[in-house]
Amino acid sequence: MGRENPAEKALCLLQSRLCDPSFIFRPLSDSSDSNYSKLKFIVSSSVTEACNNSILLLGPRGSGKVAVLELVLKDLLAEYPDMISVIKLSGLVHSDEICAFKEIARQLCVEHQLLFSKMASSDDNSQFMIAMLRECGLAHKTIIFVLDEFDLFAQGKQRLLYSLLDAMQSVTSQAVVIGVSCRMDADQLLEKRVRSRFSHRKLLFLPPSKEDIQRLMEHILSLPEDLSLPQDYVVEYNAKLQNVLTNEKFKEILNRFMNSDSTANHLFRFLFRAVCNMDLGTGFLTLENFEAAILNIQRQPKLECIKDCSILELYILVCMKRLETKEQNSYNFNAVMKEYKSIHDSFQTPDYYAHNVCLRAFEHLLQRELICFTDKKGQNQSLEFHPVKLLVSSYELHQGLKSYRSCPAILHKLMGG
Amino acid sequence: MGKEEIPKITRRTTRSSAAVSNNDVDKTKARDSHPPTLNDLLFGGENPISLDDVLSNFPGRRIQIIELLRILGPMNCPMLPLFIYGGTSTGKTSIMLQIFGHLNRPFVYSSCLTCYNPRILFESILNQLLLHRKNAANGYSSAKRCERPSDFVNLLREALTSIISNLQGNSGKLSSKKFEAQANGHMIYLIFDNLELIREWDKSSTMLPFLFNLYDMLKCLSIVLKPFSRITRRVDELSTSFSLLYQKYCEPISDQGIVPNEGMKRRLFSQLQPHIAPFLNEIFKVSSHSSIDVGATKEAKQKARTKESGGSEVLDELDFHMCTSAKYLLISAFLASRNPATLDASLLILLGPSEKSMERKETAEQELLMKGPGTFPLERLLAIFQCITSVADCSVDEEDGNDGLGVQYGDNSLMSDVLLQLSSLCNANFIVKGGSCPLEGSTRYRSTVTEDMALKVARSLKFPLSKYLYRR
Repeated sequence: MGRENPAEKALCLLQSRLCDPSFIFRPLSDSSDSNYSKLKFIVSSSVTEACNNSILLLGPRGSGKVAVLELVLKDLLAEYPDMISVIKLSGLVHSDEICAFKEIARQLCVEHQLLFSKMASSDDNSQFMIAMLRECGLAHKTIIFVLDEFDLFAQGKQRLLYSLLDAMQSVTSQAVVIGVSCRMDADQLLEKRVRSRFSHRKLLFLPPSKEDIQRLMEHILSLPEDLSLPQDYVVEYNAKLQNVLTNEKFKEILNRFMNSDSTANHLFRFLFRAVCNMDLGTGFLTLENFEAAILNIQRQPKLECIKDCSILELYILVCMKRLETKEQNSYNFNAVMKEYKSIHDSFQTPDYYAHNVCLRAFEHLLQRELICFTDKKGQNQSLEFHPVKLLVSSYELHQGLKSYRSCPAILHKLMGG
Repeated sequence: MGKEEIPKITRRTTRSSAAVSNNDVDKTKARDSHPPTLNDLLFGGENPISLDDVLSNFPGRRIQIIELLRILGPMNCPMLPLFIYGGTSTGKTSIMLQIFGHLNRPFVYSSCLTCYNPRILFESILNQLLLHRKNAANGYSSAKRCERPSDFVNLLREALTSIISNLQGNSGKLSSKKFEAQANGHMIYLIFDNLELIREWDKSSTMLPFLFNLYDMLKCLSIVLKPFSRITRRVDELSTSFSLLYQKYCEPISDQGIVPNEGMKRRLFSQLQPHIAPFLNEIFKVSSHSSIDVGATKEAKQKARTKESGGSEVLDELDFHMCTSAKYLLISAFLASRNPATLDASLLILLGPSEKSMERKETAEQELLMKGPGTFPLERLLAIFQCITSVADCSVDEEDGNDGLGVQYGDNSLMSDVLLQLSSLCNANFIVKGGSCPLEGSTRYRSTVTEDMALKVARSLKFPLSKYLYRR
């Protein structure tokens, strides 16, 4: 007890904050020319002026598009309580138009307390949707369609998009279609007839700048001074946090980290790992927590895989590398064995094993996906005759051999040669 | 892990009798009759496993266990989805389950190995969440039928909300009654095991992103997804071979209690050494992997650089029994695959077994290595078979006029018997079907036996195989 409980509560609070996208993106939305305010303006104007609209939100994964959208919708639902209904579709699940119409009908029924029948056909569902659009238009209610993974809707015949946008134009309706996509060219994917009905409004979500990142981190990681946590603990925690955040070493770590991937989501996962590492005994975040989190996140699976290999498997990998440098484009297990034998004959290595054992090691490499077959056809041949190729680059192999404990020196020599 | 009952039947029984007796046992068990409750989502039965037990069950995994416990966090703490990867038999699944047993939190486990298409996967998860068990009463059907991902998302949302409300209701009762086996917390964890197998399914390109985004789609703070995956040294394989080696290692020590010092270890090791090489090259009955090299024979590399290479004794006999005509068929298939068709006439009929060796061509040998055994039509196989058996016939008659064998060969009316043998060879995968001939559409076959095996078979028949091979 004592120190334990506030530390646990603080940990819970921090973790729940980091898992809640709408909390973390709020400070980014405060300025007047941010995407938040632009989006809010567009949607609210179409609600108040009773017109149709469509817009695309584009940006790399994890930049907060859906989070900002959720913030906007929450605020609008608070401002105009009965005038908006929201339908959410996802391209991963609903890209097929039958599923999509069913889902739209289901959500509309839930929204307006109607009975939804699972037996309704796709035609019934689409007519229901058009009828609902008309009725809502007459009653001055706006329906907002949120299409997540918009580029997946744009595959195939784009029937859903066409019928939706067509309905918006022909029927007296008030609808806003908001597409969210991580492909920056999502609007180029649309067919001509769909594109002509689509207004070419796009909002780009760019990665946050360095000042924004600093602001975000302070916003997320500082504990609030309310009654649920003891006052002196909070003050001390915040002071220590400031020390860490302004530390030069920390800034360097952060820069290196964001160089690899500068989206906001990446940062938040890093913060999550760091917060997980927080020592529950003291209850404060230290620089070591962040350093440990970096090591945990920036892993290299292939390198670890190579480090886990046995010596015979390393021999096989090195033989395959040598065959590739000799410009033999396609080779199979028997060719590798020939190379292995020639190495043994010239260098008299102590590691010369029989055919069976090598075949078993070869199969292990296949399972671990360090090598693979070059083509799938011709499966009725036995394993030894399939052409194979390496899935690790020579740099990775070099690194793996260097970091392998007790690697025979001969392998280094063979790789260098 | 858990309580496992020792099977009462230790001798071998036929399947039907085992089924009958099991039925009787089942009826007396109370477990089947009581409806599944929330506590079935826990692991480990009555008592939560202590942390020390978990750490001692998995020596060497302390760092990973502590890390996992940190990420899971204190109770009711939300977390982002977690991806655990590692080689086979490194302990991912078992550690995960034991940690959950220690924390006593409810979870839903589904393996993509047993659930081999999306529908089964979805239904298994829903069954567990809806606490529905398939038994004879409802005809082994699932609670809900769910094929498409869109249906799954909706049903999952409903099931999760009902379970979470159950959990919250339970925790309210906790203070009044003392139940040790109550589930802790308000969160349910979904565990997907063997995730990499999803890549092999159809429509895998949509399944994987769908599962990873399930967390976002449900927008429920109180569920957490944990996919597992697979990919180090295989402990299970090593353990079998190590046990044998260790026994040999300990042979000279009469007193098992003493701890050997350096000098003794060296002596023991030098005694062990001649046994190691044949162990290393042993066939994969023992599945001996050469990473034994790193463990046991590190000293060997430092001390004795010259190791006997191989030391494999080629077994001269076949391990299994085949009838004579099958053996001849196997040899003819091997010859048909190895020799080009144009040389058949010269090798088999005109010249007979030739004494002179054909000249080796470098590129031709390369081709053999790369392309593998060639295909042949059925007629060619039978023609070679006839040639060989007629030769063998003569030699058998010459040697010792053994009547028992000699009767069958060279007799055309027994061709049906030969075809039966051929089909059984195909079933045993000694001969497989290759592609079909493009002109006529008839199927071609290919032999998959290695040269060693063909030599063994030929030796058992006293057939001079090497003289019939094109290259040697």
